[in-house]
Amino acid sequence: MDHKMSRSPWVIHYDGSSCNGCDIEVLASLTPLFDAERFGVVNTGNPKHADIFLVTGSVNAQNLPVVRQIYSQMLEPKCVVACGICACSGGVFRDAYNVIGGVDRAIPVDVYAPGCAIRPETVIDAIVEACGILDQKEAVMRAGGDPLTVGGAATWDGGVELGEDGFVAVTGAGDTPAGTPAAPVAAKEAE
Amino acid sequence: MTLLYFLTLFPLVPALGMLLVRGDRARDTVGLVGSGIIMAATVVVAVMFFGTGPQSFEVAPGTSHVLSIISSVIDVILCAVILYSAYKYRNALTTVLGVVQLVGSVAFATMTLPAAEAVTATPLYLDYMSVIMVLAVGIVGSLICVYALGYMKDFQAHDEHEAALCGQTAPDRRPQFLALMFLFLSAMFVIVTSDNLEWLFCGWEITTVCSFLMIGYTRTPEAIKNAFTQIILNMLGGIAFLVGLMYLHVNGMPLTISGMLELSGAGTAQSALLVMPVILLSLAALTKAAQMPFHTWLLGAMVAPTPTSALLHSSTMVKAGVFLMVKLSPLYAIYPVTGFMVTSVGAITFLLAALMAISQSNAKRVLAYSTISNLGLISACLGVGAPEAVWAAIFLILFHTVAKSLLFLCVGTAEHHIGSRNIEDMDGMFSRMPHLTRLMMLGIMGMFVAPFGMLVSKWGALVAFAQTGNVLMIMVLAFGSAATFYFWGKWLAKLSGVDPTAQNVEVNVHKTEWVALNTIAALLILCCVAFPVISSGLVSPYLAMVFGRVPYVIGKDAMYLMVVIVAFIAVVLLTSFRVSNKPHVNVYLSGVGTDNYRHFRGSMGHEVKAEKRNWYSEDALGEKRIGPAGSVVCCSIILFALLCCAWIGPERLAMSAPSVLRGKYFEGSGVVGIFIGTVAFALLAPLVGGLIDGVDRKLSARMQGRVGPRLLQPFYDVAKLLRKAPASVNTMDDTYMACALIFTVVGGGIFVSGSNTLLCAFMVTLAAIFVVLASASTQSPFAQVGADRELLQVMSYEPAVLLMSVGLYLATDSFDSIAVTGQSAPIIVYSAPIFLALLAVLTIKLRKSPFDLSYSHHAHQEIVQGVATEMSGGTLAKMTLMHWCETVLFLMWVGMFFVWDNPVSWVVALVVMVATYFVEVLIDNTFARSTWRSCFKLGWGVALVFGLLNLMPILVDVFI
Repeated sequence: MDHKMSRSPWVIHYDGSSCNGCDIEVLASLTPLFDAERFGVVNTGNPKHADIFLVTGSVNAQNLPVVRQIYSQMLEPKCVVACGICACSGGVFRDAYNVIGGVDRAIPVDVYAPGCAIRPETVIDAIVEACGILDQKEAVMRAGGDPLTVGGAATWDGGVELGEDGFVAVTGAGDTPAGTPAAPVAAKEAE
Repeated sequence: MTLLYFLTLFPLVPALGMLLVRGDRARDTVGLVGSGIIMAATVVVAVMFFGTGPQSFEVAPGTSHVLSIISSVIDVILCAVILYSAYKYRNALTTVLGVVQLVGSVAFATMTLPAAEAVTATPLYLDYMSVIMVLAVGIVGSLICVYALGYMKDFQAHDEHEAALCGQTAPDRRPQFLALMFLFLSAMFVIVTSDNLEWLFCGWEITTVCSFLMIGYTRTPEAIKNAFTQIILNMLGGIAFLVGLMYLHVNGMPLTISGMLELSGAGTAQSALLVMPVILLSLAALTKAAQMPFHTWLLGAMVAPTPTSALLHSSTMVKAGVFLMVKLSPLYAIYPVTGFMVTSVGAITFLLAALMAISQSNAKRVLAYSTISNLGLISACLGVGAPEAVWAAIFLILFHTVAKSLLFLCVGTAEHHIGSRNIEDMDGMFSRMPHLTRLMMLGIMGMFVAPFGMLVSKWGALVAFAQTGNVLMIMVLAFGSAATFYFWGKWLAKLSGVDPTAQNVEVNVHKTEWVALNTIAALLILCCVAFPVISSGLVSPYLAMVFGRVPYVIGKDAMYLMVVIVAFIAVVLLTSFRVSNKPHVNVYLSGVGTDNYRHFRGSMGHEVKAEKRNWYSEDALGEKRIGPAGSVVCCSIILFALLCCAWIGPERLAMSAPSVLRGKYFEGSGVVGIFIGTVAFALLAPLVGGLIDGVDRKLSARMQGRVGPRLLQPFYDVAKLLRKAPASVNTMDDTYMACALIFTVVGGGIFVSGSNTLLCAFMVTLAAIFVVLASASTQSPFAQVGADRELLQVMSYEPAVLLMSVGLYLATDSFDSIAVTGQSAPIIVYSAPIFLALLAVLTIKLRKSPFDLSYSHHAHQEIVQGVATEMSGGTLAKMTLMHWCETVLFLMWVGMFFVWDNPVSWVVALVVMVATYFVEVLIDNTFARSTWRSCFKLGWGVALVFGLLNLMPILVDVFI
């Protein structure tokens, strides 16, 4: 496997609904002090240029379509890194009425990087980890395969779907622990 | 001879037919057959001309006398028409001028008619210039008439609809309108073939009155007001013409153009008196050509139906003015005060009208200002009175005729189908009216982009001004061209937007309109491709005939290269070979875009459309600010020139200007050399440029106290981009980007092969236009803002880049980059201020902070990347490669200033290039991004100050 992809990981950073602790650390890892550019990391701010999607904070009904749209506008091969425990699983906000869950409720996540807040070293480590997956995906693509068979997408359950009203539909399945109670409460509020 | 009579008289037949027949179908038949015969006749005239060469036609004294009487009678009738209208609408000023002109005409007739036998035996002629004009008027003018047939149906239908809403009926004045158009053509043929000034004046006045009647066509208060503005200003010119003729007659001078030219060479006391009629005729020509302060009539003429505007602007009315000046141009060198007047008024009009065009959003007004501006440049060239400049002027006339008529007709059709002539409403036109928009884009490119005729002519003008040491004109041209670039560029960008949701609304455009549009578009391409032939077959022989020498402005090889590029662009624009099967992605709208095109979910839950409007800077460049100032200055110049003639003895005014013709011929390295250079540049520049980029990033990291990326990181980036899955927001952007890369490489090839640096600079600008197109075609608000900024950046640095070439010329008498190697000293010795100006704009060109307005590549800036927003994968890789090539090319421009005939100098140049780049990196890391205003001020400021500083000595040199 060559390393054409992994030598130039360009990232895009999106703040879901974090307390900003992880955002500060993600940006810190890109500053001269931690110098992520050593690995070729460039913060593009544009999904069409980016290879790695860094998401901080948990997913809720408001930002779920945004996360999905940004992800859909990134071109394969691409990777998603959930930065911080909220992005991984919802963290301490997991049971909050408005929190659906971690980023994997919206899009497939390739690398889970825990921490509250995440440490810059962890961010860089996660990016390097994601680089390996990028290379694997590229190899699969070049062989004519589907990049979705590699990384988080291979085992992803599809996350949650938003209903017509923009809220999580009650499915009865046990895979959206935080999302299930969210809908009725939020709907009530909307009334 | 018979053919000439036929050409002049035949248009009267369809004119009469229009008045007689009733019904659309009959009118169409008369119009089509009439136009067809006129076109055929002009072609026959041209073909026969190539058999016989230039000739004058003898007219029997009796016939000649009768014709003179007829023309006098026509003059009087025209005055009567004017006076009738003035009485009907109670316009005092027009009445006064009409009476003055009537008295003048009658007085002149009584003076000359008894002595008609004194007039030359050969009052008609056909030379190269006449043939060019006959072809332009006959073909383009007739096509406009064909177009009018369909257009006026829509126009009338619209009028009737409006009138019905008010419970009135709209009178059908189309027969008179179409008749006037054909009459116009007849009058133009008289003007371009009459040596007899009396007859020429008759044609001149017919065009004035025809346009008066056509502008007032709708009879709305605004139309009537503008029609009277037109007639008042043009009557001033007409009266000046008449006074000039009387002066000629009273002083016993011949009443013919050829006679005047002959007399001027005599050097007698009588020939010195010619200065007065020349200045009066030039004044008349300037009014006709809508130069400041008379430019307002042309703007007012916009209320008329579009075929009028097209006819007035492109092939007829305004061209009559410049045609007369072409004929008089040899005299401008002999009577410097007249040349001074024409050149200065033209130059000021050129610059100011281009600036005012930036502030306009009404497409027809933009076209009007552009016409005024271009006529200004033509006048400025003609005033110089050197064959080089006249060469440029004639090509400007030719290409302006074709491109401008195409644009007017396109705007007219667009207006009927999208319901607006506002450029802002042309958003997404590329999808709404696909074919029409492509033609419009072709027309716009024809007006200002590098290999098309207009820009080649401007190039010729620049060379001519440099050769004749006309410093102020060089400066005016440098700034005027940059302004021209901007207002056309932003319109082009607006048109290029691809809107996938748009409906095609061009299905019911009249067939006659398509015929006219397609034929003129084909003519435009044909003229550009046949450029070398037109130059050697028509224009050069004309100049050889009049001036006695053939100018050498642009080398043959450069012309061939441009022909190829024009053909290439035409193919890219007009064919659909670029349809790609890349998967479609929506534009980036910060993740909140909806499925609806260009719409996003707003914070309040509503769907909002993202729109981007152009930049007009009404406060700084508005016509209310600039117009009056320009008029005052131009009025002063004209008064000054007139007073000079009145007070200073004519014999002291009749001396040739102390002009020194500089310059070696421009050999270049030929097409083969350029090809080899291009291949070499294409192979090496990306390598070197990528390496420079790597060093840049490493150096920046070091300056920030960190390790930074690997040295070859930029190559890794591009290698990765090429492996990304393909996707595109439309099928166009990748093709445009590929064109931009190709043009940059060709520009580099031209430079390294030692060829023309101006051509090299034009190629870089052409590449910039295609980047803008690639970016604007995506219709993404971020990308469009980037495109707008890219245009602003080009406008900012363009003057300094043109001056760089002039700086090279100053030192070496050549525009070829190879010329530096033959010098005994580096050109920095001669052109240090210009070098400083180039250094100052280098930051803008390299898109470094503080001027990384349109695009930025800093590793840790979380910003959307302007022009590149919608580009991904291969498209972005092409842009990166293009930037590398540009970096290499720009640094070579810097290095060029330090090369001389010593081999060691190459090392010196290399050191300077390295040092320059280091300084750029330093600046990049020191300053925060600034506003476009400071970018613009810096670019134009340094070009103005350092440019003048460097060029001033030449101006003074002539007098020492």
